[in-house]
Amino acid sequence: MRRSLALVLTGLLLVAPAALAQDVAIRLEKPWVRRAPLMPDARPGAESTAAGYVTLVNRGSERDALVAASADAAARVELHQTRNMSGMMMMEPVEKVDLAPGGRVELKPGSYHLMLIGLRRALTPGQTVTLTLQFERAGRLTTRAEVR
Amino acid sequence: MIRHRMLALVALALCALAPAPPGEAARGGALRSGAFEPARPAPELALPATTGGEFRLSRQQGKVIALTFGYTSCPDICPTVLAELVQVRVRLGGAARRVQVAYVTVDPDRDSPARLRAYTGQFDRTFVGLTGTAEQLAAVWKAYGVSVVRRDLPGTRPPMYLLHHSASVFLIDPAGRLRVMAPFGTPVDDVVHDIRVLLEE
Repeated sequence: MRRSLALVLTGLLLVAPAALAQDVAIRLEKPWVRRAPLMPDARPGAESTAAGYVTLVNRGSERDALVAASADAAARVELHQTRNMSGMMMMEPVEKVDLAPGGRVELKPGSYHLMLIGLRRALTPGQTVTLTLQFERAGRLTTRAEVR
Repeated sequence: MIRHRMLALVALALCALAPAPPGEAARGGALRSGAFEPARPAPELALPATTGGEFRLSRQQGKVIALTFGYTSCPDICPTVLAELVQVRVRLGGAARRVQVAYVTVDPDRDSPARLRAYTGQFDRTFVGLTGTAEQLAAVWKAYGVSVVRRDLPGTRPPMYLLHHSASVFLIDPAGRLRVMAPFGTPVDDVVHDIRVLLEE
């Protein structure tokens, strides 16, 4: 009886990591958040903001997309894209960030980024921010991002 | 419509200010970023400074001024530029004493001196933030060919807005001449190199 329980437990231990890896096709790499102060006269429409960055890797065979995000340090998070139009930097909200099967998209300065709006605390280097990313297929994934 | 006309005007202003092509820049000197050929007097700039008093460009001679434009609600581009300018000063070592970073707001409605001070100060306490009335600032933007276009975020009340703006770094030499326009993404090494060239002339 005891031995069969041990066998089952061993089996679970062997199988569990593999099952998890298969279920979650999306991997989050190199998350970080840019340091930002709390603004002295923050108010609706003039909140304290910061940018978050992470590389999205799709190891699965299905298309997926980042559709929303949240952060423990901010009232809300929007998906934005900065585009360079002949030297004029244009920042625009985007509905989602598409992720092809086997593809990777780098959220990085001057490109796609998470805009944290309404900071609850000043973000100083060395702290961490918990980012939760919502994907169309993979669902909700959480990562801890270092403030730099 | 008005906005389109403004954009066209701004585009014209940018063309007028655009640095010479790389070939000419190479002939004119050893600058690596976009060089102004010939060098021209930097448009005067006199604005209230976050460090107290008025910052007047013509009184800064003897230093290289790294002049850039942005706003405190800008989370992506502006902090990237300022963080790169921190790296530039670190790499310059002792020579950084002769470099002044000046950050002019493109958002006079939201950027009070206190906000600007909090924002620039977190990067480097020597950075000076410059604000002013909408009229004062618009004149400075125009003189440097910096375009600013407002974009309201849908569904926010009161409206949260973003500002499209030029994010180049202008370098003004110790004689007060406009010498370089380094576009966003110019390698830090190139900016360091060009500042050394201007300091050693």
